[in-house]
Amino acid sequence: MDKVSTICPYCGCGCGLYLHVENNSISGVSPVRNHPVNKGSLCVKGWNCFEFIQHPDRLTYPLIKEKGLFRRASWDEVLRLIATKLSGIKKSSGPDSIGVISSAKCTNEENYLMMKFARAVIGTNNIDHCARLCHSSTVGGLAGAFGSGAMTNSLNEIADARLLFVIGSNTTEQHPMIAMHMLDALNKGAILIVADPRKTQIAEFAHIHMKHRPGTDVALLNSVMNVIINEGLVDISYVKRRTENFDIFRETIMKYVPEVVEKTTGVPARDIKKAARLYATERRSMLFYAMGITQHVTGVDNVCSCANLAMLTAHIGLPMTGLNPLRGQNNVQGACDMGALPDVYSGYQKVADTKMRRKFEMAWMARLPSTQGLTLIEMFDSVLKGKIKAMYIMGENPLISDPDINYVLDAMKKLDFLIVQDVFMSDTAEIADVILPAATFAEKDGTFTNTERRVQKIRAAIKPVGESRPDWEIICALSKEMGYDMQYKATYEIMEEIALLTPIYRGILHHRLDENYGLQWPCTDITHRGTPFLHKKKFAKGLGSFIPVDFIPPAETPDKKFPFILTTGRMYFHYHTGTMCRRTSTLEREYPECLMEINPADADSLSVKNMEKVKVTSRRGSIIVRAYVTDKTAEGVVFIPFHFKEAAANLLANPALDPDAKIPEYKVCAVNIEPVK
Amino acid sequence: MKNSLILDKNYLSYWLRQLRKKMSLIAPVRAGNTDIVFKTVENIHEIELDCPASMPSPKGLLFPQKEDMFKFSKEEINIVRDNTRRLIFGVRSCDMSAVALLDKFFSKDFVDGYYMSRRENTIFISIVCNNPDPTCFCVGLGTGPFLKSGFDIQLTDIGDRYMVETDSKEGAALIKEYHYLFSKAKRSDYEDQYETILSSQTRFEKRINLENARQKILSERISDAFWEWVSKKCFECGGCVYECPLCACFNVLDRCDSEGNGIRFRIWDTCMFKGFTKMAGNICPAEKKGTRIKRWYFHKLIYYPEQFGKFGCVGCGRCTITCPGRIDMATIAHRIDIGNRRRR
Repeated sequence: MDKVSTICPYCGCGCGLYLHVENNSISGVSPVRNHPVNKGSLCVKGWNCFEFIQHPDRLTYPLIKEKGLFRRASWDEVLRLIATKLSGIKKSSGPDSIGVISSAKCTNEENYLMMKFARAVIGTNNIDHCARLCHSSTVGGLAGAFGSGAMTNSLNEIADARLLFVIGSNTTEQHPMIAMHMLDALNKGAILIVADPRKTQIAEFAHIHMKHRPGTDVALLNSVMNVIINEGLVDISYVKRRTENFDIFRETIMKYVPEVVEKTTGVPARDIKKAARLYATERRSMLFYAMGITQHVTGVDNVCSCANLAMLTAHIGLPMTGLNPLRGQNNVQGACDMGALPDVYSGYQKVADTKMRRKFEMAWMARLPSTQGLTLIEMFDSVLKGKIKAMYIMGENPLISDPDINYVLDAMKKLDFLIVQDVFMSDTAEIADVILPAATFAEKDGTFTNTERRVQKIRAAIKPVGESRPDWEIICALSKEMGYDMQYKATYEIMEEIALLTPIYRGILHHRLDENYGLQWPCTDITHRGTPFLHKKKFAKGLGSFIPVDFIPPAETPDKKFPFILTTGRMYFHYHTGTMCRRTSTLEREYPECLMEINPADADSLSVKNMEKVKVTSRRGSIIVRAYVTDKTAEGVVFIPFHFKEAAANLLANPALDPDAKIPEYKVCAVNIEPVK
Repeated sequence: MKNSLILDKNYLSYWLRQLRKKMSLIAPVRAGNTDIVFKTVENIHEIELDCPASMPSPKGLLFPQKEDMFKFSKEEINIVRDNTRRLIFGVRSCDMSAVALLDKFFSKDFVDGYYMSRRENTIFISIVCNNPDPTCFCVGLGTGPFLKSGFDIQLTDIGDRYMVETDSKEGAALIKEYHYLFSKAKRSDYEDQYETILSSQTRFEKRINLENARQKILSERISDAFWEWVSKKCFECGGCVYECPLCACFNVLDRCDSEGNGIRFRIWDTCMFKGFTKMAGNICPAEKKGTRIKRWYFHKLIYYPEQFGKFGCVGCGRCTITCPGRIDMATIAHRIDIGNRRRR
C-alpha cells in the first residue's frame, strides 16, 4: 500500500490529494491535510477522481481508421503515418494549413512541447486550447488593464477578507474548495455580495444578491462605479499614483445612474448603491468572477469593468484584495502560461516581437513563424473555407464543448486528416483518422498550475494502462519521426527548458516544488519564493489603465419566436464534456441525465410539469431535455448544463464571438421551449 | 494489567524489522511536508509516532475505497480475496475502537468474506495517544486515548520505554516469539503509565457530550428546520462519510469489456447523496439535503447505540478537518447540546 501525493485533475482549485496504490491498481483517494488550497477537504469529484483511471473504456492502443472502421495499430505504424501525412500537407499547402489544439487537462510540460511542436516542427502559430472558451477574455482584458492576466491574489487569503464580491461564479458548485474559504470568511464576519442571475448555493449566503439579467454585467458594474464616484468613495491618491486614463473613464461612467440601470439589469437601485458603498469602504475586499463574466460577446468589456472597479477603490496590490478570476480547468492557467495560444510563447512573450522570436529560434534551432495564428473557433471557420486541412487535437472534445456543434462537426468532417490524442473514445475521437492513446494524470509526472498561479507537481502512481503513453512522450516520438529530435528523458528536463526561456517561471524547477506545496509565479530566480499576490508596488505594465466600456446588449436577445434566454454552464457532479465524470459511478448515479432548470412561473405558462420532457430550440438546433422546475432561475431564463452529449446544450449555444478575445457567448442565447407530447 | 511488559525503545526497530519479515508493515509515515499517512514502510526509522493524526483513517486498509470482488468471463468466475498478512503499527486508540466496531458491523448478521479475509490477516499495534489534535474528542466517549480491551497489542510511551499490553492471541504470539526483548513491568512502570494516561487526558481541547445530544434528539426537540439550516452549508462532498473510520456503506458495480470479461467491485458510497436510496421511477426518499444529514446523525447517535451499544462515532475528529461547510459531528453535536443548556 503506497500513497502517492498528486493534484486533482478536475477544476482549477488544484487540490492536493493522495492516490492509494496497491499492486499497480488505484484503490482510493484521500485529501492532503495541510494543503494550502483544500486543507484536508475534497469535493465529490475529488473524492471519486480515481475511478475512471483504470476504466475498461480506456484507449489502450493506437487506432487507425480504414474504410470507416478503426483497427488496432502499432505505435511505429501510427507515428509513421502521422508524420508522412503531416509532412505531406505541410509541403503541399504550407504549415498554416495545419491546426493544433492543446489541452488544459495536460501538464505544463506537455503544453509547452505541444506549442514547440506546432511552432518549431510544423512551423505554424495555429495553436490554441480551451482557454479560448473560458478565460481568453480575462487573459486579454487584464493584460490591457494590468499587464498580467491571472488571478491577482491567493486562495488562503480569502478566509481573512472582510468583503467578498462574487460575480458570475457558481463557486460552491464549480470551485467548492474556494467556496469553503469563502464560508470561513463569512463565519469570521465577512460580507458577501453576489451578482448572479441564478439563485446559486453561494447566493443563499449573500447579504446582497443582485439578480441581474444575463448579459447586463457591464451596466451593473458601471452603475456600481457610478455610485462610488458620485459618493466620493474613490481612492484618489491611488488612482493618481498608480493608474492612468481616469478622466475619460469617468465621463463614460457618469451615464450609468443606478435608477436608469435598474431598468436594464433588473437590479433595484437600492441594492446597487448598498453594494457599491460596502465594496468601496471595506479595506479588504476581494472580487471574484468566472464564466458569468467572460463567456459573452462583451467578455473583454466585462473583465475590464471588473478591473476598473478594483482599481477605482484601490482593492488591488494588497493581500486580501484583488481581482480574482477563477479558472475552470486543472491546468488552464498553465496551458496559457506555456503559450498554447496563437499569439504568445511561454510566459506571454509575443510571437510578433522579433526579440522574443529570435530567443526561441535560437533555443529551438528552428525558424519560427511571425504572424499570429488562428484561434480555436476561427480554425473551424478556416477548415470550412478549405484553408486548414489537418488538425491535431490533444485531450479536448470540441464536439461537445464548442458552441454550435453542428457547425464544428461539418468542419471536422471536411478535414483531410484529423489526429486525436485522448484517454477515452470521445465524440471527437470517433470522427478522427487516427487516435493516439494517452495516459491520465495518475500515470505521468509533470506540473499543473492552479487558478492562484501555484505550480504543483503531479506524480505517477501507476504504470500507463495498456500501450498508452504520457502525452509528452507521444509528442516527442512524433516530433522525432518528423525529423526534429526533442531529446527529453524526463519531464524535469522539459521544465528546465521552460525555466530558461520563461522569465515568470525562471525559478520553477521540479526539485523546488516538493517543499511547501509548489510555487506561485512570477518566480524570477532560483531562490525566489514565489508571489502570493500580484501588482504590489506597481502594475505589471507600469500604470494600471482604466478602460472605459459601454454597455452592449448580448448578440441574441429574446423575441417572439425565441422568447427565453438560455444560459449554459456546469453543475456540481459533472465536469465539462463528461469523459471522466460520466465514467465514475457515484457521479453518474447522482445526476444521470440532463435537466433544464426553469422557473415555476414559466413552467406554468408552458404547462410543463416537473421532470417532463421539453424540446428546446434555438436558431442553430434543438435538443430534448427534462424540465426541472425550480426558483433557482429567474423568469424568462432557463439553464442547461453542457456535460451531456445526448442533450448537448452547445447544439443551441450562439457562436457569436467577442471581437478581441474570440470567446463565444455561451451565457446568453434565445430559445423557444415546447412541451413534448 | 497484570501481565504488562516493558520494551526498551532501542529494541523497537529490531522487533519491527523481525516482524516485517513475515508480514507487510504499515505505519504512519510523513508524506510531503507535514502530512501523516499510513503506508507500507520502507525505512523503519521513517515511522512517526509523535505526530498529528493520520488523515485517512486506517479503515481503507481493511475496507478499501474500491475493492475488486470477483473477475468473470463467459466461462468462469474467479473470486478475488486479499489475504496479505499485514501488521499495522502505530494506530491510535480511537481508530482501534473503530476497527472493533467495524468487525461487529461486518460479521454480526452477515459475515462479509472480503472484509474478514483482510481482517483475519491483519494485526494491529495501537498506541496510547499522548498527542491529541485540537479536533480530537475521543476522551469523553471511552474510545481513547487509551484502551482497556479490544486491541491486539497496545503500547504506552513512558519515556525511554514502552509499556506493552496484549489483549489477543495473535498479539501475544508476536511477543512470545521475541520474548527476549521484553521484561516484566515493575510497579514504577505502572505508575509512569498511569501518569502518562492522566496527562494525555488533560491535553484534549474539545469535550463533546454525544449522550446529551442523543437525549435531546430522542426527546424530539430538534426540528427539521434545524437540519435544513445545517444542510445549507453542506457541499455534498461525502467527506464526512469517506473519512469516518466507522462508515462502511458501499455500492456494488460491474465493469465489463466488449468480449464479456469483466470485474465486479465495490466502492465506498455515502448516505449524503440523493442517489444513495434512489428507487425505480427516479424516486428519492431523502430528496432534501437536510433529511440526509439528519439521517446520518440519527444513525451515528441513535441507531448505532441501539444496535451495537456504542455511538457510531469514536471522536477521531476527521470530519471536523474534512468538512468544507464546518458542519461536522463535533460542531453539530455540540450545537445541539449547548442549545439545550441555553434554553434552560
